[in-house]
Amino acid sequence: MLKVENISKYYGDFCAVDNLSFTVSPGEIFGLLGVNGAGKTTTFRMIIGLLEPTAGKVTLDGKKIDYSVTDTIGFLTEERSLLTKLTVKEQCHYYGILKGMTVKEIDDRLDELLTKFGIPNYKNKKIKELSKGNQQKIQFITAILNKPRLLICDEPFSGLDPFNVELFKEELKDMAKKGSMIIFSTHRMEHVELFCKKIVVLKAGKDVLSGDLKDIKRKYRKKNILVKGDIDIDKIKKIEGVLEVITKPDEYEIKISDESVKDKVFNIVSKSPNISKFVVEEPSLNEIFIDKVGETYEN
Amino acid sequence: MKTKLKYLVKVSLDRKIKTKWFWVVNVLLLILIVGLINIDSVIKAFGGDFDSKQEVFVIDNSHRTFDVLKHQNDNYSSIFASDDGSPFKIKATTKKARTLLKEKKHKDAWVLVLDNDNENVLKAKLISEGYISTTDYAGLTTIINNAKSQIALAESHINPNDLAKISSPIEIQREVLDKDKKSEDENMQMILSTIFPVFILPFFALTIFLVQMIGAEVNDEKTTRGMEIIISNVSPKVHLLSKVISSNLFVIIQGLLLVLFGVIGLIVRGFLGTGSIMQMANLDIGSTLSSILQSDIGSQLTYIIPLALLMMLLTFVAYSLLAGVLASMTTNIEDFQQLQTPIMIISLVGYYLAVMAGVFEGSLFIKVIAFVPFISAILAPCLLVLGEFSVIEFVIAIILVILTIFILVKYGFRVYKEGILNYSSKDLWKKMFKALKSK
Repeated sequence: MLKVENISKYYGDFCAVDNLSFTVSPGEIFGLLGVNGAGKTTTFRMIIGLLEPTAGKVTLDGKKIDYSVTDTIGFLTEERSLLTKLTVKEQCHYYGILKGMTVKEIDDRLDELLTKFGIPNYKNKKIKELSKGNQQKIQFITAILNKPRLLICDEPFSGLDPFNVELFKEELKDMAKKGSMIIFSTHRMEHVELFCKKIVVLKAGKDVLSGDLKDIKRKYRKKNILVKGDIDIDKIKKIEGVLEVITKPDEYEIKISDESVKDKVFNIVSKSPNISKFVVEEPSLNEIFIDKVGETYEN
Repeated sequence: MKTKLKYLVKVSLDRKIKTKWFWVVNVLLLILIVGLINIDSVIKAFGGDFDSKQEVFVIDNSHRTFDVLKHQNDNYSSIFASDDGSPFKIKATTKKARTLLKEKKHKDAWVLVLDNDNENVLKAKLISEGYISTTDYAGLTTIINNAKSQIALAESHINPNDLAKISSPIEIQREVLDKDKKSEDENMQMILSTIFPVFILPFFALTIFLVQMIGAEVNDEKTTRGMEIIISNVSPKVHLLSKVISSNLFVIIQGLLLVLFGVIGLIVRGFLGTGSIMQMANLDIGSTLSSILQSDIGSQLTYIIPLALLMMLLTFVAYSLLAGVLASMTTNIEDFQQLQTPIMIISLVGYYLAVMAGVFEGSLFIKVIAFVPFISAILAPCLLVLGEFSVIEFVIAIILVILTIFILVKYGFRVYKEGILNYSSKDLWKKMFKALKSK
């Protein structure tokens, strides 16, 4: 289990990460969210041991993360970390051997992954000759080459088309099924919603929202009501607790401050003609994120 | 960790050697070095009359000088201690000077008109189409003056035996009171101090190679963020060590290749039968080398060369550590190129002082500077050859380089660790000084 306990990082007077704690169990996919400069990369660097926390500690299975355990960790940086003059094979040999793998192990695993990602003939191509998307694939391959117990991915889906995003997601899910611990950061909330069990939202280094994703959504007071039919928007807007009514091409989205408002809305909507849909939904993570981070910004 | 270090060294070395440019550059170096060693053959191959002697036509209106003058010219070698004989071909003529010089085949010749003045003293006039070199003019003047003296002595009716005694050069016996020094070795030190900077020039070139390579490699890994992956698997200390080892191995390989190219050049020279390597500088490598080896300095070279090589290797290590630390602080290759300029100038100072050491013999300034690490690799061996540095002083200079390496390892690693993951030039020096204090 990865245990991050009350870690803080200061650069002089500037606090990059403030008293952050979370755990990731084997088989779990954990989302670390935040706007640019929120402290995600600093947190990753502290987990991997590149930076020493000013306070707190990070342990993997009860041990401090140092060079004796880094062979079991995979790290995908946000920016390209490939040496573009090398070929795919040379690059994988380079990073693979640094992970303590043998050349044969690397070659076998590389063949398997290149085939899985649909680029089996790219082994001897120079990285600089590859497209941005294929470079991202190679970078991902180098991160999972050693079948890591702990995989840290900083924006793994950037530069990928939807088809390849699916490939990556499937691979991450597959690794989690096999017991790997996965932490990743992304700006795309739909990716987090799809396969993260737990999340932490960072704002200016502080944990502004954390926990089990389902609990977060359930506990979030604001809800959305989707209605199809001819409704009187002005009447609905006047109901206390209705925050906003959004007109969509074939339906209305009514945002309410808490679940108790839904009955008041239903009373009005039920009297309207041609009603074919009335659904109360939990808000999307994106809405929660914007709400939380936005509130903090406004404060 | 040892396996990872070995692998990093191998990868780094392969990236320098297993490239087509390494081979292209070395083929070019081979051609250039062989060409330079045989430059006289190359010049001659393009044509030109370099071996012919200067024709000097003598119009002897004094009717008593030509034979004596010719005799003096024939003895040119003994007068000037030259192995190449006289550069003049002296012939008598009765033609008028201007008429002779108008002839196409004699347009480069000189005409020497000898006459008696009112007091029956020899006077001369030298006529040429163009300028005359100062050296040749001095040589010819000496011959004429010698001839004049000979005639004057002969006409004074001095006994031939006495005349021979007067004419023969004085034999000067030398005695050097310092028992460690021989008069025969007197010129040898000057010759070696001239040659040494030439031999040390490749060291200067290799230092530039070394500094640039480390800077480029560290910056490449840093700017691509590959550094984060590498440093998450090996410690910064192992990483820098791998760069230092691989770069030093590279310069040793490159240095040996330069020596090999030099040997090939000499073999080619042997085949061409050209003989002397620096005829233009009047320096015969074969005889110079044999003179050096036979002299006392030759035996001193048996410890001077190993000491100089040790000093160079240690300085390479110091340079590579410094380059690595500086490269870690920069955020792109352009910044590093600016930082490496002072390093180059330090090396250049050493080279210039080594060249000047022979001229400013006994200079305290040069001697003190020769102890300064980085500069000492070039200057200290030169002073050792000149006899201005004792072996103990040289060993002190080596200890100072080792001390520099120790400081670079102890404090440089701290800066390197902080620098390689720093991507911002904001508050750079503040960050680095802070890193120096950390443990």
